[in-house]
Amino acid sequence: MLLKPPVNVLNIQRMSTEDGPGLRTTLFLKGCNLRCAWCHNPESIDARPVVQWNKVRCIGCRSCNDVCQNGALRLTERGIFIAAENCSLCLDCVEECPSGSLNVKGEDFEVEKLFTELLKDRAYFGEDGGVTISGGEPLLQPEAVTWLLEALKKTGINTALDTAGLVNTDLFLRALQHADLLLYDIKLMDDAEHRRHTGGGNARILDNLVKAAPFLKESGKRLWIRTPVIPGATDSKENIRAIAVFLAGPVGDAVERWELCAFNNLCLHKYESLGRDWAYKDTALVTDQAMNELLLLAASELKSSGIELHGTGSTRSTSTSEE
Amino acid sequence: MPGVKVPYNLSPRIKWLYDYYFQGVDRKWNNEFLAFSSGVKDDCLFEEMNFYIVPEVYSFFNTFNKAFNQNAAVLDLPDDFFRRSLAERKAFFTRKVMVEGVPREILPGDLLAGSRFNIVCSKCWTPQQAKKRHRLVSGTDGLRQKVYAFKDKGFGNCGPTSGHLIPDYPRVLERGFKGLYEYYGELYEKLSPAEKQGEKGANLRAMREACLMPKELAAAYSTKCLNLAEREKDEMRRAELLQMAANLEVVPWLPAEDFWQAVQSLWITHMLVMSDENYPGPGVSFGRLDQYLLPYWQKSMANGMDIETGKEILKCFWFHCNTAYDAMIRTGCNQGITSGYGQLFNLSGMGKDGIDMTNELTYVLLEVIDEMSPILEPKPNVRLHRNSPDELLDRIVEMIAGSQGAPFLLNFDERSMAGMLRQAKKAGCENLINEENVFDYASVGCLENTMCGNDRSATVDCNLNLLKAIELTLGNGRELQVYHDSLWGKPYPPAVDAPRTGEVESFTSFEEFFAAFADQVKYIIRKMVLLYDEMDAVRAEFSPTPYLSALVRGCAESGLDITQGGAELKFITIEAVTFATTVDSLLAVKYLVFDQKLCSLSELTEALKANWVGFEKLQAAAIYKAPKFGRDDHEADALAEKVMELWAEETWRYKTTATGAQFRPGMLSWNYWISSGYILPASPDGRARGQFLSNAICPVNGADINGPTANANSVGRALGGQSENGDYLGYNNSLPNGASHTITFNPSITKSKEQREKLKAFLRGYAENGGTALQINIVDAAMLRDAQAHPDNYRHLLVRVTGYNAYFASIGRELQDEIIAREEHQCF
Repeated sequence: MLLKPPVNVLNIQRMSTEDGPGLRTTLFLKGCNLRCAWCHNPESIDARPVVQWNKVRCIGCRSCNDVCQNGALRLTERGIFIAAENCSLCLDCVEECPSGSLNVKGEDFEVEKLFTELLKDRAYFGEDGGVTISGGEPLLQPEAVTWLLEALKKTGINTALDTAGLVNTDLFLRALQHADLLLYDIKLMDDAEHRRHTGGGNARILDNLVKAAPFLKESGKRLWIRTPVIPGATDSKENIRAIAVFLAGPVGDAVERWELCAFNNLCLHKYESLGRDWAYKDTALVTDQAMNELLLLAASELKSSGIELHGTGSTRSTSTSEE
Repeated sequence: MPGVKVPYNLSPRIKWLYDYYFQGVDRKWNNEFLAFSSGVKDDCLFEEMNFYIVPEVYSFFNTFNKAFNQNAAVLDLPDDFFRRSLAERKAFFTRKVMVEGVPREILPGDLLAGSRFNIVCSKCWTPQQAKKRHRLVSGTDGLRQKVYAFKDKGFGNCGPTSGHLIPDYPRVLERGFKGLYEYYGELYEKLSPAEKQGEKGANLRAMREACLMPKELAAAYSTKCLNLAEREKDEMRRAELLQMAANLEVVPWLPAEDFWQAVQSLWITHMLVMSDENYPGPGVSFGRLDQYLLPYWQKSMANGMDIETGKEILKCFWFHCNTAYDAMIRTGCNQGITSGYGQLFNLSGMGKDGIDMTNELTYVLLEVIDEMSPILEPKPNVRLHRNSPDELLDRIVEMIAGSQGAPFLLNFDERSMAGMLRQAKKAGCENLINEENVFDYASVGCLENTMCGNDRSATVDCNLNLLKAIELTLGNGRELQVYHDSLWGKPYPPAVDAPRTGEVESFTSFEEFFAAFADQVKYIIRKMVLLYDEMDAVRAEFSPTPYLSALVRGCAESGLDITQGGAELKFITIEAVTFATTVDSLLAVKYLVFDQKLCSLSELTEALKANWVGFEKLQAAAIYKAPKFGRDDHEADALAEKVMELWAEETWRYKTTATGAQFRPGMLSWNYWISSGYILPASPDGRARGQFLSNAICPVNGADINGPTANANSVGRALGGQSENGDYLGYNNSLPNGASHTITFNPSITKSKEQREKLKAFLRGYAENGGTALQINIVDAAMLRDAQAHPDNYRHLLVRVTGYNAYFASIGRELQDEIIAREEHQCF
């Protein structure tokens, strides 16, 4: 019998169309053990709650500033700046803010309550859709994730686990028992580069996938690999080729599809809300030409592996890229 | 950015008609109103009560009446004309106008006859009748003044208007008007001599005479076609004209023998309803077109007709439906007037025992819609249910993907039928609506559910702002602001006859506040019912429509005109406007005052009187921190359900005095949620005066932060959700009329086959959890902004607003901004 501690939840995204097949409810858990420089969910990284400020809703009443005892809030020309190092997470400012402009990301849920919440869209799941558990790194809360996946499966819900894979192999494989689909990130094949861009090595990530692959294949579970195409980090031909070779090799049999997800900068406002700078704030979208070249390259390496190749995300057209 | 949908696969014939139609005022031919007077001094031609639900035109009533009178041709009437009953005078007058007074044209290439039908006719009143009617309607303290004040004070509006029903067209196709004529003769012969001399006899004679109008008109058109054929040089066209002439010798007097005749019969029968009511296309709907035209389609196909010929006939039908808009083609309009008139038809749907009724004609009609789209009329409404085939959903989603305003509405059978069965129970008409026939329901106008051929449910006649009850609760039966006469700017006297439900200081709990609110809801419903009742009686006395009555089962049998309550099923629908704003206001009162104690009720009232100026923190808390309807939040939605039950139950308590019609609840807001937003004061949900109210059953704009599925779940829950003892298959539905629900999606949901599967999954889920009807918009904000800046590039861009399609470029700036805002908030 597993323990059921409260679950540290970042967000529940209903009618998600991007986290697996069909319509899904995606549970984003908080806390991550990687520090990818391009991270699109910066508010998910820290396991502790994070206070953030939403410019659009702010009515400029300064109630937050009046109530803060720690000098963690500064009124700047660009709005409210939150000095995370001074913030005691007392959340007085969040309580006081009338518009919800200051809000906290990260909430403890009882696992049963969370389960009920995840079932609300059951009517829309159909045969393909279901629940995806994502993060942050969901497997940093392995008991809760395993309990939820198992409970969902027993209820007849299709389940997916979205992990970056830098976790204990046994816990990973245990959780996987109850998932119908594994969404797995492979970002960089070069260990040193992986370390440089994500703060962690890739040995265990690759190893975990190799260990999981036979089980996935045997039990008829689906495996989708995702690779973010990040300019200057993961978008080199060498990297894409190396991933393709890996996929076509030791794990190939288990892989159903591989998505190359083009970089976008839609998360810029999240960094602003958190009062943080973002290394990619001025980075342009990948050109459609570059994306197509990577897809062609990947396809030629995959050859007859039977892996479906998909390109997703926004690109800019080559004709306007010189402006 | 996807391109704007354009028509395709149009033959030269249809292309010409299509382009000609869109030349608008530049056309040489049009179907503009033609006016005809009896010649009596101060003859009345314009029925203003038809327009009491259109506040935009209140200031034009006298102008319209005078202008029509001045432009009217005077009919030569027989000496005994005014000795006949009013119904017989009307039948005679309309018949004479349509057969002798109106020019007849066949447009180049057109395969259907029946061009001009927009007429404005003498009401055929004697001077004594005119005087009495004038006193009741436009005299001091007449109905006109009452309606103005009702609207100016933000209660809403009401008036007995035309259309909004499905005439018994299949019976005409099957038996012809000859069959009706003979049947009405038999009914007449069965009357006692006294009855024959009385109103019953008069009404029957009028209905019978009305049946001759289509016969004579068709004969005249037949001659016209023969004449044209004689002069026609093109062999093919001459053959067509000869066939049209032959068709018109058969239909609509005799049963239709093939598909072409069936469509010809349907068109003439239908257009004359609009002539009879002197109103173009107001929700006069066709019902289950793919079901009752199927036998004719199959017969013609078996006899060698090819599909494209069949579609060509249908496309001509499409063209004719759109000419309804010519009525006031030279009169500039705004905010919805130029939008869909609502000649609706249904496709597919459930049959007996839950079987699916999709057939070959369903798909042919979908093809016609797709090829003709974007075009306003007729308005398709596709009925979906649990057993709808995948093939149909694929087709529908494909069509949604290819056009900005989905080219049809979607109706959901289980929920809709649950509402109809609830209605049968409430109104005690289970003999007429029951599990054996409820699947044959259809929708009129925008999405209002009714039965076919025997039902007038007055689906747009009463439009009630529920939010008014919040104002009156906070004011202890008094208004929070001074209201002004919108024509003259004169302040209304402050007195209202609302109940004193308690000074707000006296409420110690939310339950007490809600009890007071409930009393005010009952008051506003009663106030509307009483006002409508007076108008209904006036229409019953003064405005018979014998031709329409001849097409609705129950009228001849009861000897009553349809305006007198002759239909077998007769309802008056109260459409509640501002539902979510009202629910959110209650939620905000509970949150701000009783749960969080951020202010007292008096302070909240002061804030509303000040339009939130100086109360910005409180306003922000109301908007952003108080719970809202539309988030699948069980507690909030439970209150929504409670409000729904409250007003729906109260509505069922009333019937009209003169016509015995039962009031029933529905939710449709046309454009009132915009205009009333400028009238009603600020509301506790944080809305300032001048901001829009919520639309039909939709959550307040921007409140549905948990996305479309949560939004749909809330809507289904507000209607009653599902339960073991549900009205139908476990479904509950408090609103037999149905409820308008719009959801806007970003184009990304339609970009690939894989994404379209997701949209299908949404629709299947909606059938389980959602409401009665759904409109889908697929547009992105960037395209709309561009359309606002360059309207000429987007003349064909259709968007959906409260159940009707509207050309984006033709609607007012406020509504455009609203639609853009609605879209942008979905982009997060």
